[in-house]
Amino acid sequence: MNKILIITFFFTFLLNNKAFAYLDPGTGSIILQSILGAIAAGASYCAIYWKKIKNFFNKNLRKKDNKD
Amino acid sequence: MELLKNPGSFRDPSGQVYKYNNRIIRIVKKFGKNRYEFIKEQNLIKESIDSDFLINTEEIEDEFTNFKSKDFCYFLEHEKLDYISYPYEWGFQQLKDAALHHLNFQIFLLERNAILIDSSAFNIQFKNNKPIFIDVLSIDKYVEGEYWKGHSQFLQQFLNPLLLRSLKGISFNDWYKGNLDGIKTTELNSLLNLKDKLSFNVFFSVVLLSKLEMKNTRNPKAALKKINEKKPLSKNSYRGLLIQLKNWIKKLTPLKTKTEWDSYSISNTYEKEQENKKIQVIKKFSNKIKPNLMADIGCNDGLYSFESLKAGCKKAVGFDIDINAIDRAYKNSLENNFNFLPLYFNATNPSAKLGWYEKERESFIDRLNFDAVIALAFEHHLALGQNIPLEDTVSWIMKIAKNGLIEYVEKTDETVKRMLSLKGDIFPNYNQNNFEKNILLNGKIVDKTIISKTRVIYEFETN
Repeated sequence: MNKILIITFFFTFLLNNKAFAYLDPGTGSIILQSILGAIAAGASYCAIYWKKIKNFFNKNLRKKDNKD
Repeated sequence: MELLKNPGSFRDPSGQVYKYNNRIIRIVKKFGKNRYEFIKEQNLIKESIDSDFLINTEEIEDEFTNFKSKDFCYFLEHEKLDYISYPYEWGFQQLKDAALHHLNFQIFLLERNAILIDSSAFNIQFKNNKPIFIDVLSIDKYVEGEYWKGHSQFLQQFLNPLLLRSLKGISFNDWYKGNLDGIKTTELNSLLNLKDKLSFNVFFSVVLLSKLEMKNTRNPKAALKKINEKKPLSKNSYRGLLIQLKNWIKKLTPLKTKTEWDSYSISNTYEKEQENKKIQVIKKFSNKIKPNLMADIGCNDGLYSFESLKAGCKKAVGFDIDINAIDRAYKNSLENNFNFLPLYFNATNPSAKLGWYEKERESFIDRLNFDAVIALAFEHHLALGQNIPLEDTVSWIMKIAKNGLIEYVEKTDETVKRMLSLKGDIFPNYNQNNFEKNILLNGKIVDKTIISKTRVIYEFETN
């Protein structure tokens, strides 16, 4: 009985270690992706709006130029 | 005919690569059946090949029916490349182009609702000087909200080695050869100073990630809990991550470091006349042998390979210990569209059998596939510079290919005099007579051209 307990404890310990070692490199990456992903998505929205603003002004300026 | 499993192909249970009668066959297993059928139905293979992302791949329907089983579902044939190279043999620009190729491919796939499941740099090879993706089963369906599984691997295998050279001027090759997973973010972070860390990109992808990794190692349960509570990653964010990395990597350049050989082809002791003589010898040899694949040992910036390619050689692989020379050679061959692949190479410590079971990555000797070799202004660096016995130097060069050119340099040569000025002459057996004897031990002397008083080029053919 004791033997079984020792073996179970040993394997649980080993497997846990393995699982953590395997998981660990990804955990930091996922947290970072959620931060960077939000920034990157925000930046792409800004880029779209910036383009729209630029187009708006370019259009108006061109109209003005044409009138001149 | 037997299907021989490639010892480097075992990590993905969905399929493996086999060699069959000198052809490259990928078997899709039961585990990968759905994945492959998705790729096929979406026409992703053809589209990726047509856009120069993926190596030519074709499903073979009838030929392998004998091998079909419950587990072996599909048989794909890949175009066979002449020479397999590894990231630790690439120069900065080559690893950078490979990184951009990976990111561009992911962006391309994401538009088609697919992704790459890993970011192994070993999944990229060079074909006609351009990076090409070789592992079709790395493509999978994109599931809305999922995170980029290969993000961390991408940083270790592509970004961190590039940053090591770009920020610190340290070439990544020997470090990478020592750890096939690449360069760990925590290790890179330890090398950075405050100025390096102040960059937005470095701060997030190196400093912060390193801190998170350290924290999570100490408390993995809390990290897992935090991840389970995370919101899904939108497709826009996924794409944003790829684009942000791409824009950053595009701007990376190696930190300027001058190496011993930087001005070799410009300020060496040769006269122009001697160089022209050498070029004539190479042209004559290349025109006669017409090598399919030639090795250029000590290639420097690739000049002699380029002359050979113009004169009848089909493809050439260059090897040099100088990482700046490799960068210049790659740039030159891209600009002139030469079929030339320069690789970082230390002849006294060449790429060995590496990885799992010492079989995952092949050694230099295992990959010998050349029908010609040129070793110009090279042997004295081994025999006199590195104390490799003359007989070993000659036999090693002659093992590389059946036909070749070796330049012999006398002790009275200015370069050799300089090399021995501090070391002293401890090489009583180094002379032209012994050099010739050693060629004859391994083959025959086909031709001999005197370049100068101290330099002779021998053409050999092995037994």
